[in-house]
Amino acid sequence: MEESSRTEVVLRTNGLSKRFGKRWATKDLNLEVHRGDIFGFLGPNGAGKSTTIRMILTLLGPTLGSIEIFGKDLQKNRCSILSRVCGIVEKPDFYLYLSAYKNLEILGSMTRSVRREEIMEALDAVGLRSRAFEKVKTFSHGMKQRLGIAQALLTQPELIILDEPTSGLDPQGMKEVRELIKKLSLDRNMTIFLSSHLLSEVELVATRMAVINHGELIVQGEASDLLEREATEYSIQAPPLDAAIKLIHNLPWVEIVSSENGKIGVHVSPGHASELNRLLVTHEIDVSSFYPHRTLEDFFLKVTEGTSEI
Amino acid sequence: MNLLWLEIYKTFSRWRTYIGFGFIALVVILTEVVMKLSAGEIVHRMMRSLQKDFLVFGNVLNGWFVTAFIMNSLHIHIPFLIALVAGDIVSGEATSGTVRFLLIRPPSRYRIITAKYVTTIFYTAGLVVFLGLMCILPGLALFGSGDLVVHHFGKFGIVFIPEAEIPIRMLVAFVAAIWSMTAVASIAFLFSTLVENSIGPIIGTMAVVVVFLVIGNFPFDFFRSLKPYLFTTYMVFWQQFLDDPIRWQEIVKSAVILGLHSLGLFFIAFGVYARKDIKS
Repeated sequence: MEESSRTEVVLRTNGLSKRFGKRWATKDLNLEVHRGDIFGFLGPNGAGKSTTIRMILTLLGPTLGSIEIFGKDLQKNRCSILSRVCGIVEKPDFYLYLSAYKNLEILGSMTRSVRREEIMEALDAVGLRSRAFEKVKTFSHGMKQRLGIAQALLTQPELIILDEPTSGLDPQGMKEVRELIKKLSLDRNMTIFLSSHLLSEVELVATRMAVINHGELIVQGEASDLLEREATEYSIQAPPLDAAIKLIHNLPWVEIVSSENGKIGVHVSPGHASELNRLLVTHEIDVSSFYPHRTLEDFFLKVTEGTSEI
Repeated sequence: MNLLWLEIYKTFSRWRTYIGFGFIALVVILTEVVMKLSAGEIVHRMMRSLQKDFLVFGNVLNGWFVTAFIMNSLHIHIPFLIALVAGDIVSGEATSGTVRFLLIRPPSRYRIITAKYVTTIFYTAGLVVFLGLMCILPGLALFGSGDLVVHHFGKFGIVFIPEAEIPIRMLVAFVAAIWSMTAVASIAFLFSTLVENSIGPIIGTMAVVVVFLVIGNFPFDFFRSLKPYLFTTYMVFWQQFLDDPIRWQEIVKSAVILGLHSLGLFFIAFGVYARKDIKS
């Protein structure tokens, strides 16, 4: 992807704020999503993620601030903007008494006329082609989630907004949705705005991310920058463990914090994780797994300490 | 047009939509069969007072009489059947969560709400037309045709309408009934935009209709003074097309008042929904 298109701002919020009664659900949010981003929008439950998404998709009106999508003001250009945007807010709910095909036909034709082949292609992309003419009331939650993504794909939008798309799915379902998101970004060059309360989910797919808490933006930037700025705990499975521990002891930028059940827990200074992995392998230690232990809570604590301000 | 077609398709794909049609079919056929079986008794009762002063002969208990009788009997029940669909048409989208897909599409909320309102009117008209057909066709088949004997509208006495005039009078009476029921549908529709469940608008609409009818019929001066301000007072103006002479001034007045109610309620619903925060 060209650098110029990569930095083109697709979505920008300016001082976006929403008040319900006396409570501010979001306060002065300034987000920036670039073309081609998989933008992870992180925050704990109740942080204001869904409120922000609802404002972006015009379900809620902002109390203060504005939203620009494709360089245009959303309130003034709602119709033209929404013809290029699609999304799922919270759980995907459909007309249960209609088939998957009919649901897509109805929802798709509200944007433009959709052909039968387009509907079948969208269903194919999410693995629901064989269930096209079954009523949605017979679908599992995972299937509805995939059907939600199919309806988002149907009109070939440039920006897809997904609110907790893996919520309520089993591990296999979560993996499938993640793979689908990556595929959409790579194959169709779609910009994806993805909210989650799980850092582990977002870090697997996001290229850029923002974190909010209590309705306020805490941090925003390139996902790799944000996640690698802090010393991070990793779990390593690398038999024989003794050899790995001996090697790690000599490294000044690694600290062993635990060693049990055939795994070593280590703290690695920022930017050294891949170097450690390489060292272990070159010393003929078989690394069977090497993965970070980061929780959203840890991440919040670190970024709110003021060490990761962008 | 596309939005309207989608709304009509969605509405008529739900079994709930057909409850009203099923109820009407059942009640009307049952009533007609019972009337047929008790024809002798009914004619005797009808003629008991009339035969003191008149010489009545011919087919009095005919299909037109049965139609007028059933329409008079059901004018309280039809609003409930209308509220079942009109009260759900907007709030049902919130209950099922589909509103979150619907309102993030390019069509404006104004267009969506207008399509839903027109669908509501379409359903209302469909239900009244169905009632008419269910009354008239089996009625004529079972009881035959003849002159219509009905009560004077709002007065003591009876009216004879010649057989030749009845079809056109029935037609306009049913159009007037659709007009009346549109006001009821508009109440349910407004309630439907205010809440996020379907039960509230249905019960709310029935409460308004029943309370207004009760207030309008209380024999006290205070309640009588309120009667001109209650839309239910004008709801039965279709009966005036089965009267003699037809009082056009009153018909126009009733039609205008009911029309203003419908329009006003729609515009309130329109304004409410355009600004509503969707939190469901």
